[in-house]
This record gives sequence, structure tokens and C-alpha cells, in this order.
Amino acid sequence: MRLGMVIDLKRCMACYGCQMSCKAEHGTPPGVFFARVLKREEGHYPTPRMLFLPVLCNHCSDAPCVSACPTGASHYAEHGIVDIDHDKCVGCRACMMACPYGNRYFHDERRYYFGDAGPTPYEQACSDRYPEGVVMKCNFCRHRLAEGKDPACVENCAAKARTIGDLDDPKSTVSRLIKERGGFTLHPEAGTGPNVYYLAP
Amino acid sequence: MNRYDQLIADLRSDYRPQREWGEGRGVLMVIGHFLVGIAGGTWLMASLYGVTAGLAVAYVLAALGALAHLAFLGRPERAFGMMRHFRTSWISRGFVGLALFLIGGGVYLAVTLFAPEGATGLVARIGQVIAAVGTVVIIGYMGFCYTASKAIPFWHSPLHPALYIAFAFRGGIAALLVIGAVTGAAAGAGLLEMWIGVTAAVALFFALEIHGAWSGGNVAARWSVRDILAGRLALLFYGGTLALGLIVPLALLLAPGVHSPVAMALVGLASAAGDFFMKLSTVRAGVYLPLVIPARRQRA
Repeated sequence: MRLGMVIDLKRCMACYGCQMSCKAEHGTPPGVFFARVLKREEGHYPTPRMLFLPVLCNHCSDAPCVSACPTGASHYAEHGIVDIDHDKCVGCRACMMACPYGNRYFHDERRYYFGDAGPTPYEQACSDRYPEGVVMKCNFCRHRLAEGKDPACVENCAAKARTIGDLDDPKSTVSRLIKERGGFTLHPEAGTGPNVYYLAP
Repeated sequence: MNRYDQLIADLRSDYRPQREWGEGRGVLMVIGHFLVGIAGGTWLMASLYGVTAGLAVAYVLAALGALAHLAFLGRPERAFGMMRHFRTSWISRGFVGLALFLIGGGVYLAVTLFAPEGATGLVARIGQVIAAVGTVVIIGYMGFCYTASKAIPFWHSPLHPALYIAFAFRGGIAALLVIGAVTGAAAGAGLLEMWIGVTAAVALFFALEIHGAWSGGNVAARWSVRDILAGRLALLFYGGTLALGLIVPLALLLAPGVHSPVAMALVGLASAAGDFFMKLSTVRAGVYLPLVIPARRQRA
């Protein structure tokens, strides 16, 4: 089984629901965005338009971050999910330079959203998950998948733009969407075999 | 601007600069690469010319470089874990190479300096061979670390390893010039000519890399070139690399009269400083591949 995601850009309305639900699920510190939405203006008057591009770790089949990692902290977990073992990471940041999608973040020091007011009880509860001096990234919400749930960004996408499933199964929804709608990946020229596909807007 | 605000501003920009290597504590990594590169080159050149003081200087530089690398890491206490993945990771290979250099070089130097009668013995020879393997690795690995960085098109060039190897040679020659001036020994035969030749090679590799990045069609690589030649890094490049690293040494070498030891030391120091600024500016010039929907996919 190879887990992958399809994001329908025609459905995405850039509500940031994925970004916020990811933040809420993982309690990531300020400056760390496992999921984020990029917005870009295209064209000129009278026909300009906004393009939205939700991005996250692509859980590549041939992940350069895994090859570049000197300690094995970046590794393939079950179903091809690329994850980081925070107990092994030395914080050399080679993976950040290797990832063509820029979806890794270095947690250099503990920060809280309300600055001098200190951590909220929620931040306090979540902060233990993220040690300082290591790199962090999306792991397709492995803890939720283990419970039979979808990742938080999929579950909370108001427009149902995100679908997760088995890319090795030709009958799965993700495989069907990619085939029928011509799914594409970002930077295919990097040769990393990304497992997050997009459907054209 | 604090680090958080800087990151948010970077995430919003079309061409997001990498800041982890080369800015803030990241400068330690550039310093580490600089010192280790010079150490490798110095060990090689000192072995070639039989300068024991050069071997000792190379060892000290490598040790300082290793400390700079450790200080850069987020979790230096786990550094030994970096030996695990040498089959795929250039950082890991560099760590192994540096460890071999420090172990082998340490053994060889200890015997040579403290028990000279054993300098041709088996222990010294084994140390020398291990140090030689380490030297090859530390001279070579740095360029490959950058080339393996697929996120940064400017670094992701096959010329980067050649450039870093040439830097190591130039650094080694520069160190020997300084050591010669300090110890009062005459510069080895052909050392200045070698410096000119290697400097020409560095300039050629860099020009080819800049040309390749500019004409290669990748917008992020072009942005990096623009940053170096006419943007936020222009001062580092023109002032540090070109003026200090090239024009000053050439002016000293072309000045009429005998090359005094002080002039040779200045040539070496200016050359090394130029190399540092070159490395710093190319590392800081790194810009991430922009994430965009391919034009042909923008409409279903």
C-alpha cells in the first residue's frame, strides 16, 4: 500500500481550514506549518485571478530528505509515509536543503503564540511533542490513520478538496481521480516521486 | 526583524531564501566547511612539500572546523549518530571522513612530533594512510553536500564539487604561504605559480557555474545569481571575494621587487579570506524552488 493524497484545486477556496486544523491537531509552534496555502495573483486587468495552492509534505517515494539525512531520523514509515524520528535528528538541516517542496521546518527555540503571556494550556500540552533543535514536518497524521481516521486536513476541508487513499490500488478514489482528471505533481522534474497529486483548477 | 517574522515574510515571497545554512548560527556551518576545506588542502600540500608545521596547522584547522560543525547542530550530543547513513548521505560521509582525518592525522602527527624515530614505522604509516583517506573525503564531500540539495537550484550543479575541491587546494596553498612567512622557510618551488593556476581554475569554475545558473532556465537559480552579482550579496561578493580574495593578492604578487615574507603572508591571508566570502555568498544565495502550479495545468 502506498498512501497518497489528491487535492482538487477546483474545489479549494483557500479558506485555510487545512492549515488551521493541522495547527490545532498537532499544536505546532509558531513558524511551523505542516500544511499551508499559497496564494498567487495571475494575469492582468480585466482578467486577473487568484490561484490557490495548498502544500504539505509530498511523502515522496524516492524522498531526497531520507537520502540526505545522516542519522536515519528521516525515514519511511508504514505505507510509504515519510516521517522524522525526533530522538535521532541532530538538527543538521540537510533534509531542508534536499526537499524541493520546502515543507520542513527547524524548531530552533521554544516559542509561544502569545509571547510574554507564556504558553496556553494547549500549547503546554503539545510542546512536549516537539523538542528543540530538530526538524519537523507533516506525517499524514499517522496517529489518526492508526485510529482509522483521515488526516486532520482531509477531515476538516470544508470543500472536500482533499482525498487520501491507496495509490497502488487502481480502484481507489485517489487513483481514479488522478486517472480521470489528469492529476499532476509539483516539480516532477526533481524525480522524487511525490505522492501528493493535484487536480487542475 | 526577528526570526519568526523573517520566516513568515520568506514564506510569502516568491523566491524564498534559505537561511538555515549561512545566517545566524548557520554561519558556523560555513565556517566549519571553510576550515575543514582549508585543512584538507593544507594537509595535502604540506605532505607534498614535506612541511611538518603545515600538517600540524591542518590538524588544528580540522579540529576547529569539527567544533564549528558541532556548534551548528541543533543536537550536537547526538553527532555520533551521523555515521550511520554514509551510504546515502554526504553529510554522513563528511563526518566519517573528518573522523578518519582526525584519528589518522592525530596518530601520524603524534609519532612525527613526539617520537620522530618512529615516523617511518608501521603505526605512523597506518595513521598517514587513514589521514590520507580522510583528506580525500573532506576535500570532496562539501561540494557534494550542496549538489545533493535538490531544493536549491543554484547549488544543485555538477560544478559545485569541482569548485569546492579547487577551494581546498587554493586554501592549502594559501596556508603554506602563511606558514612559510611565519616560520621563515622559503615558499616551496612553484607554490606561487600553483596559487595562480588554482585561482584561475576557481574563477573558471565559478564563472561556468554562474553562466549555467543564469542560462539554465531555472528562475530560482537566476534569482541566486542576481542576488550575488547585483542584489543583497553583492557587497560580500565584490568586496570580500573579488577585491580581498583576488585583486589584493594579485596586486601583491605583481608588485615590483622581491616577494617579502610579509607580502606572502598577506597573499595567503587575503586569498583565504576571499574563499570564505565566496563560500558565504554562494551559501547565502541559495533560494528554494518556488512552488507554483505549472502554467499548462492552470486550467483544466
